Amino acid sequence: MSKKKMFVRMITASLVRRKSRMIVALLAIAIGATILSGLVTIYNDVPKQMGAQFRNYGANMIFTSSEGGFSPEEFQEALNILPGDSLVGATPYRYETVRIHEQPIQVAGTDMTGLQKTSPYWSVEGEWPSQSGQILLGEQVAKDLSISIGETTTLTYRPEDEDALDETFDAVVTGIVNTGGKEESYAYISYEDLSLLTGADDTYDLAEISVSASADELQSYVDQIKNGTTAITPSLVKRVTASEATVLSKLQALVLLVTVIVLALTMICVATTMAAVVSERRREIGLRKAIGASDASLIAEFMGEGMLLGAVGGLFGSFLGFAFAQFVSVNVFSSQISLQPLLIPVTVAVSIIVTGAACLIPIRSATKVDPALVLKGE
Amino acid sequence: MFFRMIRGTFVRQWKKMLMIALTIALGASLATAMISVVLDVGDKVNQELKTYGANITVLPKQSSVVSDLYDVEGGSASGGAYLNEDELGNIKTIFWAFNIVDYAPFVNAQASLADGTEVTVVGSWFNHHMELPTGETLDAGMNSLRSWWDVNGAWIDEKSENSGNTAMIGANVAGSQGLSVGDTIHLKGTESEDDFEIVGVYEAGGTEDDEIFVSLSSAQALDGLDGKVDSIEVSALTTPDNELAVKAAKDPKSLTVAQYETWYCTAYVSSICYQIQEVITDSVASPVRQVADSEGAILDKTQLLMILIMILSLIGSALGISNLVTASVMERSGEIGLMKAIGAYNAPVMGLVLTEILGATVIGTVIGFGAGVGFAQIIGQSVFSSSIAIRTMVIPMVAVLMVIVTLAGSIPAIRMLQKLEPAEVLHGR
Repeated sequence: MSKKKMFVRMITASLVRRKSRMIVALLAIAIGATILSGLVTIYNDVPKQMGAQFRNYGANMIFTSSEGGFSPEEFQEALNILPGDSLVGATPYRYETVRIHEQPIQVAGTDMTGLQKTSPYWSVEGEWPSQSGQILLGEQVAKDLSISIGETTTLTYRPEDEDALDETFDAVVTGIVNTGGKEESYAYISYEDLSLLTGADDTYDLAEISVSASADELQSYVDQIKNGTTAITPSLVKRVTASEATVLSKLQALVLLVTVIVLALTMICVATTMAAVVSERRREIGLRKAIGASDASLIAEFMGEGMLLGAVGGLFGSFLGFAFAQFVSVNVFSSQISLQPLLIPVTVAVSIIVTGAACLIPIRSATKVDPALVLKGE
Repeated sequence: MFFRMIRGTFVRQWKKMLMIALTIALGASLATAMISVVLDVGDKVNQELKTYGANITVLPKQSSVVSDLYDVEGGSASGGAYLNEDELGNIKTIFWAFNIVDYAPFVNAQASLADGTEVTVVGSWFNHHMELPTGETLDAGMNSLRSWWDVNGAWIDEKSENSGNTAMIGANVAGSQGLSVGDTIHLKGTESEDDFEIVGVYEAGGTEDDEIFVSLSSAQALDGLDGKVDSIEVSALTTPDNELAVKAAKDPKSLTVAQYETWYCTAYVSSICYQIQEVITDSVASPVRQVADSEGAILDKTQLLMILIMILSLIGSALGISNLVTASVMERSGEIGLMKAIGAYNAPVMGLVLTEILGATVIGTVIGFGAGVGFAQIIGQSVFSSSIAIRTMVIPMVAVLMVIVTLAGSIPAIRMLQKLEPAEVLHGR
């Protein structure tokens, strides 16, 4: 039997025969590895997921124009500069003054589905308009004109041409919006409906864009759009971007620090358990030495055993950790996490190093002992 | 005899006991730190989210409709209704006064520059110092409510003597008028006129860039609005809304007495608004949804995230400890086999093992608690630059947790010990 084969056999036999102890050790390593891979995955994912939460504050970039408006083509061209996966929503607006109940009201023609994405904090009583001929009123407008949900209102528009007759448009009020801000004194209809009322004129006054990106990335997008298009002037909503950068960096630091502390403590826990398991075997070490085993071969064998455990536990733990991270992501952020393949070898490597280091100390002290003393039981 | 044996274990096998105590200390410190951080993280993050500015605005009852409608036609700013400056201090006397971290009044005046350009001049507090009836002091104002402003120069300092004659101007005004820090502008209001020294030029990234900010009394004097205020912005620490809060926000009168009390005594944004309306005459306080709702969402998510991480680390440390306990009990099978061989019953042997381990647990938990408090402070200081409050409830939580964990960890080991055949163990199998 070759030396190599014997080495493998000794290691596996020891693992199989001393089942209960090995399970204890394996469990300890697997827990450590689970925490390692779970927390690192979460830490990696938190900026992205939390960033998405911060989009709740609404648009962080607005497009305006120095020439009084921009066309849908120019708008689309500017949007194409932004990476598709980080674009949360984009809503173009066109404002016109119309009369409802003979009162002047500012009406915004916009894209209702985009609006729900760029302003997720809007609290709408009733329904969002979903088709032509429907209107969303600000709470102040509704209160002031005593219009309630379900009623049909008539929007009257006076064309600029003095001789032309007033245009009218009937719309059903589907919802009333409450924001606690200026939006409450506006009315919202779809862009197509506003064009029908005022006569087709394909321009947007401004657009709100919600992009999930860091402060530096946002600034670079602004510069790119500035250089890339002529009609559109992009600018950042300072209140949202500056505050997000401050708060998000704190949250990230919090998760990082917690991860580091939890990891450090868990690894020490794993190490002490491994040390306890190994130091139990002093008698065995003594016996081996008595029948002529060299210190080096003993260390190699025990380390080999520990590392094998480390590898198995690490592999096991990296998948458990991923399952935990997935659980957190689904429960907290309601989104899936993608598996980072690099993390598996890293977790396994760390587990092997920690268990190896933990075994080394008790083995070295055990090999220094006189075999006769150990066997005698002192 | 029992105590002598235990003392014997601690004296002779101190290395092993130390290792158990050390592991338990690590687990206990982890538990202490995580529980403390989780209990406090809501407050801390809430404080951070204050950088988004006010989450409540207070307007006079009638003007909220009228002013915005006039705005549409490009007319004057206010519809003739104002809040009373004298009542501003009342905001700090409501039930949730402690949760009000900052607030500032605003008054808009129309004025013209030397060349006749019309500008909106806004009067507000900057670092307004208040002595409250409770004996507390508070520095409130724009400095923290507009933390995202990019200021070139300095903020208006209300503590300096000529603060009434200093102004901050928006970047757009500065650009179009060619003004910079140190210049003097002449503002002519409807009632009076005055010279102001520019101390700062700010970039706000919004309509405020077209405005000029001066101290509250100066703006009031320009348009003869003494003692009047257009609006108040309030920044308050709030609890995320739940069903009760949503129901109450629609109509507090629809609640039962018990529900009303719960609502009134919880820091929901709607109950704070309600209380502000009680102390400011003819006012409407409404939550700024953009800030209030988003705060709630982020707060909820952060807390949930930290709770789950806490649970993972608690499970981890619990399993780690019980693992070590199991390992260390198994290791002593020879000694226990010998005791059984010379006639010891199972019960006293178990008692002995358990007492030893509990002894180590107590020592470990005390050390670990101290270390955990330290870890929590490291997290608090380095992330939030403020210390994390250690609540007394953490002590019993950690103590009970550690005792349960070590006992649970001992169970498999003890069951194995009960089954030990002394002859086999002593024979060395």
